[in-house]
Amino acid sequence: MTKAPQVLTEFFWLEQLHRIEAYVARGGYAALKKALAEMTAEQVHDEVKKAALRGRGGAGFPAGVKWGFIPKGTDKPKYLCVNADEGEPGTFKDKYILSHDPHLLIEGIVLASYAVGIHSAYVYIRGEYETIARRLEQAIDEARGAGFLGRNILGSGFDLEIVVHRGAGAYICGEETALLESLEGKRGNPRLKPPFPAVVGLFQCPTVINNVETLANVPGIIRNGAGWFLELGLPKDGGTRIFGVSGAVAKPGIYELPSGTSLREIIFTHAGGMKDGRKLKAVIPGGMSSPILKADEIDVRMDVDSVAAAGSMLGSGGIIVIADGTPILQVLRKVAEFYAHESCGQCTPCRLGTSWIRKTVERMAAGRGQAGDVDALIRLAANIQGRTLCPLGDAAAMPVTAIARKFRAELEGGLATAGARP
Amino acid sequence: MIKLFIDGAAVEVPEGTTVFKAAEQAGIELPHFCFHPAFAPEGSCRLCLIQIEGSPKLELGCSTVVREGMKVVTQSPAVREARRGVLEFLLAEHPLDCPICDKAGECKLQDYSRDYGLTESAFREFKEKRDKKVAIGEKLLLDRERCIQCTRCVRFLAAITKSHELGVFERGVHAEIGILEGGPVRNGYSGNLVDLCPVGAITDTDFRFKTRPWFLSRGESVCPHCGRGCNIYVDYQPGFPRVPGSAKVFRIRPRTNEAVNGPWICDAGRYGYVRAQNEGRSDRPFWNKDGAKTGLAWDTAMAVLGDKLRALADAGRADRVAVAATSWLTNEELFLLKKIFRDDFGAGRIVMCDPPPGEWDDFLRRPDRTPNARGARELGFDPAPPTLEALARGTEVLILFGPHIAERFAADELRAALRGIAVKVLVTPHFTGLEGLMDGVLASATPAEKDGSFTNFEGRVQPFAAAARPCPDVRSELAILAALAGSLGLRPDYYGRLTTAAAVRRELAKDIPFFGGAA
Repeated sequence: MTKAPQVLTEFFWLEQLHRIEAYVARGGYAALKKALAEMTAEQVHDEVKKAALRGRGGAGFPAGVKWGFIPKGTDKPKYLCVNADEGEPGTFKDKYILSHDPHLLIEGIVLASYAVGIHSAYVYIRGEYETIARRLEQAIDEARGAGFLGRNILGSGFDLEIVVHRGAGAYICGEETALLESLEGKRGNPRLKPPFPAVVGLFQCPTVINNVETLANVPGIIRNGAGWFLELGLPKDGGTRIFGVSGAVAKPGIYELPSGTSLREIIFTHAGGMKDGRKLKAVIPGGMSSPILKADEIDVRMDVDSVAAAGSMLGSGGIIVIADGTPILQVLRKVAEFYAHESCGQCTPCRLGTSWIRKTVERMAAGRGQAGDVDALIRLAANIQGRTLCPLGDAAAMPVTAIARKFRAELEGGLATAGARP
Repeated sequence: MIKLFIDGAAVEVPEGTTVFKAAEQAGIELPHFCFHPAFAPEGSCRLCLIQIEGSPKLELGCSTVVREGMKVVTQSPAVREARRGVLEFLLAEHPLDCPICDKAGECKLQDYSRDYGLTESAFREFKEKRDKKVAIGEKLLLDRERCIQCTRCVRFLAAITKSHELGVFERGVHAEIGILEGGPVRNGYSGNLVDLCPVGAITDTDFRFKTRPWFLSRGESVCPHCGRGCNIYVDYQPGFPRVPGSAKVFRIRPRTNEAVNGPWICDAGRYGYVRAQNEGRSDRPFWNKDGAKTGLAWDTAMAVLGDKLRALADAGRADRVAVAATSWLTNEELFLLKKIFRDDFGAGRIVMCDPPPGEWDDFLRRPDRTPNARGARELGFDPAPPTLEALARGTEVLILFGPHIAERFAADELRAALRGIAVKVLVTPHFTGLEGLMDGVLASATPAEKDGSFTNFEGRVQPFAAAARPCPDVRSELAILAALAGSLGLRPDYYGRLTTAAAVRRELAKDIPFFGGAA
């Protein structure tokens, strides 16, 4: 196996990488120096656009295009919000960037802010990452002390402040508009769109919202150019991806691989194959909300478009590997419980649909399943999908539909056994 | 203007209009719970889903803005299926206690469930158990099992009263409306929450379990409780047996008039007027003689009063007659009163005796506690209340309209001042104790029971027709004045025509330029 190029996790082995000295010593902040000295904001923006950097948070929207939605010549302040509310089950990649290499994120934030003309950035970090949040705050202080943040950065006349804000544990606050509400001090309910955050975002002002990993890719793009980045990945999906592999594999963890690496290769080559010689049953390829793939469906390239073509979703790249012997009802139950628990309750289909699904699945799990339950689940999920206020409804419905369709025989077999019980 | 097609019909609307409003213009009401025209679109109930040609997903009618050439379908199988799905979800956790729910009969969830044919439930699980009687305000009870989380109540308190008493607590299926720090709803406009609630989640202790909406008739009127003149609906049960033939009013609700009150009314008007309709009513004319009440037929009463007045006039002492009017009277009644007593009869004193100013706020409620103070002023009445001395000195006959004089003066003072007056007649819809000091009492109608118009504080003349029927022995002041003109024998060719509010209004418009536009 050839060593895959690693650009985000390349220096993760360095001790004290989270300290500015180590980061600078390994070439950190060079991109920022280059951008501020040699490039205009438009040039930075263009480079990111050319690099086909797609959002790493889940939706896979091109970051450069997103930045372009900010209205030109607005007299309102503009904001950058960094979505570090990593809450999708099976996803733990941002945690590693934040804890090992916080300056990489900071450099990315400054570059993105420079490109868009932003002077205030907020990092919305999940509350459970308290130690990491403190480490990030320390890094921010170091960067400010070294002149990479604050007023007149590196003598360029460009100002930027970064504030770290801790979430309080709600999955929904990772949805970008709920994140904005929460950041404003309100209940984290998603907003009705349009208007989109690029026009009416934080404090009613134009706002860019990017995932941690997305921004962490920006320094590399600026230092080495868009061509280098495209070379790493695919023409429409540049760069590498950090895949978080969990479940029944020999070596669970994060793996930085080029966009488009096959799922089979990730599991069987990089993650060391199945744990204890167990047999693969199914894979959830991009965080819990992505539709499940059966063992014979894993010859799929892991980039946004290929996974979508295979009927699932690359999402956050959180790969959950399920071995034979794990009852699929148990997986379904985790899915149903999670989304019913995390639904904010604002819109009807999500509030009541996720709860109905959970109640049905729990009844099935309690051995009181009835004929028609699997069809009922598919019908309920269909009544949620595409009809909710925010993407959480789709996220809740898609995995249920996929599990019910692909594992109907197992689920219905369970019903038969259950029915036979006294 | 933007041209679009709704179910094939071309509609033209201004730029920025939502599909919901455009559909309304085309005569189509999209089903909805959370949307309300007074608030920004919320988009949470997901019932107003529509299909837009070229759009992969169903879109929301309430928040989607029209585009040129847009083709909207409001009733395709996909749309109906999606709406059925939403209703099925809502009904799954709904208690379905319509038989004991006050909202039944005017409940949106009930209506839509019927429209979309939801008769059987596929829900096989346990329903959530929630609180059924949460006191969220002085007269408000919240039933959390019926609540569908449209959050209209929360948004009303945030956007209209800005008092923020309620909020959403918990999340997912456990989301519930609750009272925020600072206590229950008490802002003078709380009754609007009951109207806003599309289901029976918020009910009104004033109305709760008293009747059923389908027993009620709805009349339109104008609230007489302050100078705003809010447009209202009067919901009454015709033929309620309190007094045979009279109407019992069960509730007052706002009638939307963007220029006056929008879709709201205050609690003082809402609850006060229900009480004013039903409680302490004078229901027939009578004569107080030696401490005993003697009922009188109206004809007799008018003849007796007419005789007394004519006797004075014949003796050249018409100026010994004093009339105290009130701006509870309509423009038409005040006009007729002035014509009769000043122009033709020549009464000595015609004064206004309004109640003292009351509580007010910077939203709807005005300090004047009568609906027609501005009208009275335009008709030339001096709003300054009289002194008792001025009212009583030399007066032989006093005709009082309304009981408000008792609020201006202490009882003893009043008793002493009135003692010297030979004939004292009170025309009132209510007993307040003042009737004991009077010789004759004529039972009059409330504004909800009569035709007429009020001029609100901004000078807006608002005509209205009788919304509810008074009991048979009650007459409007207009009828009383017209009858009096007849028994006094004043210009029959003139007063003979002025027996309806419409006829008087035409005369008023001719006489006083201010009212010219109202006829």
